[in-house]
Amino acid sequence: MSSTIRRIGFAGVALVSLALYVVGVRSAVTPGGSFTARQAAPVAPPANVTTAVTGVRVFDGERVVPEATVVFDESGILAVGTDVAVPAGTRTIDGRGKTLLPGLIDAHTHAFGDALARALVFGVTTELDMFTDARFAMDMRRAQEAGPVFDRADLRSAGTLVTAPGGHGTQFGVLIPTLSAPDDAEAFVDARVGEGSDYIKIVYDDAVSHGLRLPSIGRDTLEAVVRAARSRGRLAVVHVGTLGAARDAVDAGAHGLVHVFADQPPDADFVGRVASAGVFVIPTLTVVESATGIASGAGLAALAHVGPWLRPDEAGSLRRAFPVSPASKTSLDIARGAVAALEDGGVAILAGSDAPNPGTSHGVSLHRELQLLVHAGLSPLDALAAATSVPARVFSLGDRGRIAHGLRADLVLVEGDPTTDIGDSLRIVHVWKHGREVARPRQDEQPPSAAVDAGTGVVSTFDDAEPTAAFGHGWVVSTDTMRGGGSTATMRVVQGGAAGSRAALEVTGRIDDAHMFPWAGPMFSPGPTPMAAADLSRFTEIVFWTKGDGGTYRLLAFSPQLGMIPAETSFVATGEWVEHHVRFSTFGIDGRDLQALLFSAGKGQPEFRFLIDEVRFR
Amino acid sequence: MSTTTLPSEIRRAAPLGTHWRLRAYFLEAWFEFLKLLRLPGYALPTLLFPALFYSLFGLGLGRFSGGRFDAPTYLLASYGAFGVIGASLFGLGVSVAVERGQGWMALKRASPMPPGAYLAAKLAMSALFGVLIVLLLSTLAVTFGGVRLPVSGWLHLGVVLVLGALPFSAFGLAVGSLAGPNSATPLVNILYLPLGFASGLWFPIQMLPGPLRAAAPWLPPYHLGELALAAVGLERAGPAWAHVAALAGFTGLSLCAAVIGFRRDSDRTWG
Repeated sequence: MSSTIRRIGFAGVALVSLALYVVGVRSAVTPGGSFTARQAAPVAPPANVTTAVTGVRVFDGERVVPEATVVFDESGILAVGTDVAVPAGTRTIDGRGKTLLPGLIDAHTHAFGDALARALVFGVTTELDMFTDARFAMDMRRAQEAGPVFDRADLRSAGTLVTAPGGHGTQFGVLIPTLSAPDDAEAFVDARVGEGSDYIKIVYDDAVSHGLRLPSIGRDTLEAVVRAARSRGRLAVVHVGTLGAARDAVDAGAHGLVHVFADQPPDADFVGRVASAGVFVIPTLTVVESATGIASGAGLAALAHVGPWLRPDEAGSLRRAFPVSPASKTSLDIARGAVAALEDGGVAILAGSDAPNPGTSHGVSLHRELQLLVHAGLSPLDALAAATSVPARVFSLGDRGRIAHGLRADLVLVEGDPTTDIGDSLRIVHVWKHGREVARPRQDEQPPSAAVDAGTGVVSTFDDAEPTAAFGHGWVVSTDTMRGGGSTATMRVVQGGAAGSRAALEVTGRIDDAHMFPWAGPMFSPGPTPMAAADLSRFTEIVFWTKGDGGTYRLLAFSPQLGMIPAETSFVATGEWVEHHVRFSTFGIDGRDLQALLFSAGKGQPEFRFLIDEVRFR
Repeated sequence: MSTTTLPSEIRRAAPLGTHWRLRAYFLEAWFEFLKLLRLPGYALPTLLFPALFYSLFGLGLGRFSGGRFDAPTYLLASYGAFGVIGASLFGLGVSVAVERGQGWMALKRASPMPPGAYLAAKLAMSALFGVLIVLLLSTLAVTFGGVRLPVSGWLHLGVVLVLGALPFSAFGLAVGSLAGPNSATPLVNILYLPLGFASGLWFPIQMLPGPLRAAAPWLPPYHLGELALAAVGLERAGPAWAHVAALAGFTGLSLCAAVIGFRRDSDRTWG
């Protein structure tokens, strides 16, 4: 009897255990356990805390309330007012001496990678992207539709832009469809709508204002695309570089211009037409400034309340500017004057940074744009509206861009008063997205670059049969094919080197002149893997010998200090062996985190041949 | 030699005092500790396997991840789980099987030692080795991996891993009671390394091929790994209670298996 009971008890325990196990396993397997979901979430923020900011100056998107209390949680803004009761258990923040702004909207960016997370650190809670990989935009959109995304800015995107074959937008290494005839406009726009594009971005620019010549869609195609976008209920926004192009775009019925022209000042008649047609303008003065050779963001990186929150590559990008062609007609003064005239004429101005171009970085550069808008003549209040309520209205984002009961709690608390001194917009104390506080980790305690045993500094003497290097990942051929170009290069060791040495590295190839930024040549990575930053700061210069066909070649240096775009210098490979010394400072780097050196041919060198030998650091 | 089971009445007739009972527990644990310490075949691999793997993958490869994946922190949790599982499987599985074979069980049952002391000593040693492994990995992580956790994070990890010794000790007991004394060591080795690998304790589960990834949640170590990852602030795939439930179920099943093994064993002899 008792043994039967024991047996039943045993079976019961076994069954209950089995059931527990199966239930546990089944419940643990939830869909979407993706790799990204597992990535660093250092300290999980507490779920739905009600927060109150008391006694704070509020810029509500349109006007200023000198002293108010704002209460919010993840469901949205619960109360705004001067005599708001703060419920018990609320996290209260003393807002005296501070200003609360709506989460900022950057109306012109190109987002990829972790750009949206980085934007959030600087108070940008929504980015209106003007061209990115359509699949990336689709992923972001899907996540936003599934529920609140707390750890990165929301994205609205044009997805794939509309441009001519070989036109602006095709040089960024993303293979995209292009448009060559007006008859294809409808199908092309349908494809964009199918990809989920929130609006249609059209490039109507032959780059003459930058002293270049690029293919552009024609005026009839522009008109056809705008018509197609309008008929499908999508905004048509146009990238222009000149007043002439802006005129065509407005005439074609565009909803907005996503850059301001910078070649000629507008006349009153044109301003009147822009205003009466209700066309909005996103001037992107930051990138206009950079296009005139001024590193637009250099001053930001130096600020004590900004610099420590920037990654080295971001600070590097802020310190760069576009190379300026002597034929460039871009003038920052004209651009500023145009913004002032348009603003005076009643045209809606939206703040956009065009990050991540040289001189810009996601998030932080929107604040630079606000400063430039104020320089151009907007009041700080109008500039702030250009980054909050105005883009929200123009792009139909009814749930944000203002601080009002029931709207999303995307908020930025700053020290001081940006409604009188726009520079205070960067004195960020707290950022909330969907009512949840955003972590703002400092970036200035980065791990150092990989230490490299560079010995005496000798890289390669090329006296072996193969192009070997004494350290680092070594030599590989790098060409613009990775960006859709057709340039080629080959390298091989040949007899007869510099200063009587046994052999040297011969580089031969062809340059594809149709590509906007062609390159081809050998690249040396000093770190253990390609493009891993290596510390070579105990050296100060690069020394090498060259000989060749008399052509002018480029030496490019890659470093996070330079942002995403390498710095370069040139050398002539003459018929005789010549020794070259290039100091790190020539590139504006200190060798602390050198990623690669590239010896490259460039535009105008359909066939090239040069030799390199005795490469070393000194 | 034939095994004799002492009638339970005898034990009941001569109860030990509380003091003696505690002393018996303590001595048994102390001798178990001395035994393991003097067995380099246990102590070295149990401590060194996780430390070696962690140094290789967590610290060595970690710096090449480019900041996208915090390998030192992730693998601190997963190799911590791996280590504790190893300590439990070897500590209980192998030693119980071997001691069964040596006839220790019969001797112990014949001695006045409280029967619980034998198990308690082994559990205590599993937990102690678990603590040593956590300390060793944490030291490596802080010193060479730059891992920084809040105090609550370290405590959470420690508690999860030490409690995590229980289900795998139960499993060890099951293996120890069912396996032959000579086949226990190879059997535990065959179970330990592949189970750890397939449960995502060596590398993040996302790096494994699809079918393995799908199967991982059916493996008990996966659930301890998930709880450990949650402790260091990394997101996990399911709610904590599900992992706890799976581990509790696994403990129950293991204990049932152990009971079957010991019942069967009472009729058998080992030469």
